[in-house]
Amino acid sequence: MKATVEVPKLRPLKLPRHEVRTLPNGLTVHLVPRGPLPLVAVRLVIRGGSAFDPIGRLGVGDFAARLFRRGAGGETADQISDEVDFVAASVGGFANEENVILSLSTPSRHLEPMFELMARILLRPDFPESELELSRRRTLSALINDLDDPGSLADRALVRATWGSHPYANETIAGKKDISAYTRDDLRHFHQERLGPQIAHLYLVGSFDLDDVMATVERTLGGWKGGPSEKPIVPPWAGLARPGEVLIVDKPEQTQVQMRIGAPGVKRGHPDHFPLVTMNTVLGGGFTSRLVTEIRVKRGLSYGAGSSFDMMSVAGTFTVSSFTRTETIESLIDVSLAEVKKMKERGPTKTELATVQRYISGLYPGRLETNENISGAIADVVHYGLPETWISEYRERIAAVTVKQAAAAAQEHLFGPERCIVLVGNADKLRAKVEKYGPVTVLKPTELE
Amino acid sequence: MPKPATRTSSRSKRPAPTLPPALEAIAKSVIEVTLPNGLQVRLLPSDAVPTCSFYTFFRVGSRNEIPGTTGISHLFEHMMFNGAKKYGPGQFDRVLESSGGTSNAYTSNDVTVYYEDFMSEALEKVIDLESDRMRSLQVTPKMLESERKVVMEERRLRVDNEIGGLMDEELSTLVWKAHPYRWPVIGWMKDIENIKREDCLDYFRTYYAPNNATLYLSGDFEPKKALAMIRKYYAGIKAGPGAPPVLDSEPEQKGERRAEVRHPAQAPSLMIAWRGPQGTDADTLVLDVLQYALSVGQSSRLTRALVFEQEIAIGISVDWTWRFDPGAFTIVMELKQHADPKKAEAALYAEIKKVADHGLEPRELEKAKNNLSAHLLRELATNNGRAHALGTYELMLGDWRQGLALPSRYESITGDQVKAAAARYLAPERRSVVTLVPTPEVEA
Repeated sequence: MKATVEVPKLRPLKLPRHEVRTLPNGLTVHLVPRGPLPLVAVRLVIRGGSAFDPIGRLGVGDFAARLFRRGAGGETADQISDEVDFVAASVGGFANEENVILSLSTPSRHLEPMFELMARILLRPDFPESELELSRRRTLSALINDLDDPGSLADRALVRATWGSHPYANETIAGKKDISAYTRDDLRHFHQERLGPQIAHLYLVGSFDLDDVMATVERTLGGWKGGPSEKPIVPPWAGLARPGEVLIVDKPEQTQVQMRIGAPGVKRGHPDHFPLVTMNTVLGGGFTSRLVTEIRVKRGLSYGAGSSFDMMSVAGTFTVSSFTRTETIESLIDVSLAEVKKMKERGPTKTELATVQRYISGLYPGRLETNENISGAIADVVHYGLPETWISEYRERIAAVTVKQAAAAAQEHLFGPERCIVLVGNADKLRAKVEKYGPVTVLKPTELE
Repeated sequence: MPKPATRTSSRSKRPAPTLPPALEAIAKSVIEVTLPNGLQVRLLPSDAVPTCSFYTFFRVGSRNEIPGTTGISHLFEHMMFNGAKKYGPGQFDRVLESSGGTSNAYTSNDVTVYYEDFMSEALEKVIDLESDRMRSLQVTPKMLESERKVVMEERRLRVDNEIGGLMDEELSTLVWKAHPYRWPVIGWMKDIENIKREDCLDYFRTYYAPNNATLYLSGDFEPKKALAMIRKYYAGIKAGPGAPPVLDSEPEQKGERRAEVRHPAQAPSLMIAWRGPQGTDADTLVLDVLQYALSVGQSSRLTRALVFEQEIAIGISVDWTWRFDPGAFTIVMELKQHADPKKAEAALYAEIKKVADHGLEPRELEKAKNNLSAHLLRELATNNGRAHALGTYELMLGDWRQGLALPSRYESITGDQVKAAAARYLAPERRSVVTLVPTPEVEA
């Protein structure tokens, strides 16, 4: 590798002005006015995600949030959709593991009516019975069709093998039984008990007049009341649910196998964050990572390969992902395990580290180009309680990581024997090949419903 | 080195008097140059973030292929990352990433497109890398074999083990009998195996010449310096013989065409395509409006009727991709588990007939136009998006100005035009239908 690596000289980031205001009801409002395009992104983040769904009703928060726009304040779903679509805006709600999120994207000149509409669906969803049943049927059908997609089956099985029964699994494992059980009272209960201004942050980024917007926010959300007064807490994770095991999801017609190797990772904002991110980019990020080089370039085993840390508030996971033909699955698993082991034992080289430092730093500003990107980045800082300088100093902190720190982070956090393997493919052909990696369990796709 | 002749855009900088301010600002910023070897260069300076995007558009895709070596355009796109004279095998991405950049590429029926996103300081390095592979790509037997395996795996992923891929492949062979659009961009498996090194070398000489390419650079850079660098690295690359024209021998369609794909699946689905006009045809924009009215947003015609009211489909999407030669207006319906595809088809055709007979409501028409304009605006929000959008407009419509003028062109489309286009293009005798028939999972 003759790539000469210089110490990065970074042009400053032009970060837009960011103002924070708090309404008397506790809602925190973040305002980031910026141009030049006449567009605005709005994001309301409420700490009440799927991790807080009750047993037997997993997924209920996400289901309810998606129903907000299907009838609110006496307006029908069709009326709401027509208003939104007509001005080329988009609005909607959903839940991820930790948060319920409402988002709005709109041309600037329609911001006021669209914000009013967003507030209306948040404060006064009607949850009409007909829409509830329609949505239930659609959600169940979509779930069934998901079972045809090998990649999504692999991800569903991986969540079971890693998170197990921890609440972070709720979002993915919510299944047929849960969806069939939701009642209108469940949705109302979610809306009244789990959402409220004191656990919410509102972000507005884009081309707008600050005073006009604040007036609209106060008028529409100033009267929002109720909900929790403190952020709910996610319980700690006991560790990998199926350590050392191999799960095969049987898809006999497949000539290709989807592979995931799962292991514990770290929580968001971990002190080793920057060493870990740089180290992992060497291992499995970008097109020149070790995994891509060994799996794709040198052996032609697959079209793609990578590794990633998924970090949440209290815990996280680490995953290696790839796929190959059924005949070459052992090579793929062997190479993947060997590369993780090598990295864990020896860490990255100086050249590798310098390369990815420049790579990550160079591309970071591109993650702050759109209004949606900026609101997402600021929301992450707030939600995970990261330092205020997280965004402005991100590139410098990446650049400051030493080989020693990256190696120590690899040694500390990459998996040893404690990992699980998930495969989606022809179980009969796979079983004998993969028994050497651990006790094998075969699942039918329908068991992941 | 001869001094290259340049042409700036001052002559016709303003595409249309009615451009909204944000688009007007972009239009004014574009700098256009053509090098003597035919290479077209477009610069779009903007200093919002300290990064750049560099796009290289080649006017070649699977449309330019012949049976026996289908998929060569896509395989070749992979080979472009495997070493040239100055930067050898494995160097392209390595040097780029260590300079603070990343790259990717795609191949379509009509074009092959490469791009890099990178920190501004890396501009000269990126130009060096890109020009190196345009000047002197090396196709070694070893790299070709390795990349062939990767592409075959990609085909297994995207087609052979993916229901949508299987159906799409079937559909194209129905819609086109003679035109090269009939084969998949990734190529037939046997053809991928059959492609020889000599085929690749011929292909490179013919299609990867500077006179068959357009560069777009957008982001934070100094235009004069950037232009000087581009001249320094590209001016010495010799022009090619020019790409041979593609003959469109497609016969007239005489009636509906149908096929089935039997495959293990949870639910049936439908892919239906109607033959449409070519990208530069005036009706293309009318069909854009129709596409949006039918499928964009929860209040769109087909989504409201078939997903929410009749509950026949779980999801419905309409694809109308502009192409060099006459393309296809395609509707994909993901159905419920025990749905009857025949009934779903009938319900869809009834909705289409309504538009063909009665046109759109005035509010629907305006809504579609609003969304098309907003879509353009959102495309322009990033360096990458601006370079890609304007480049694509230039290749497809002949001039990037046509792209920025789209909102006003959409504005002038009337309800009668949409009605007429629906009646003409979405007629039963122009359609091809692929039905996915689920078979039980095979117990091996």
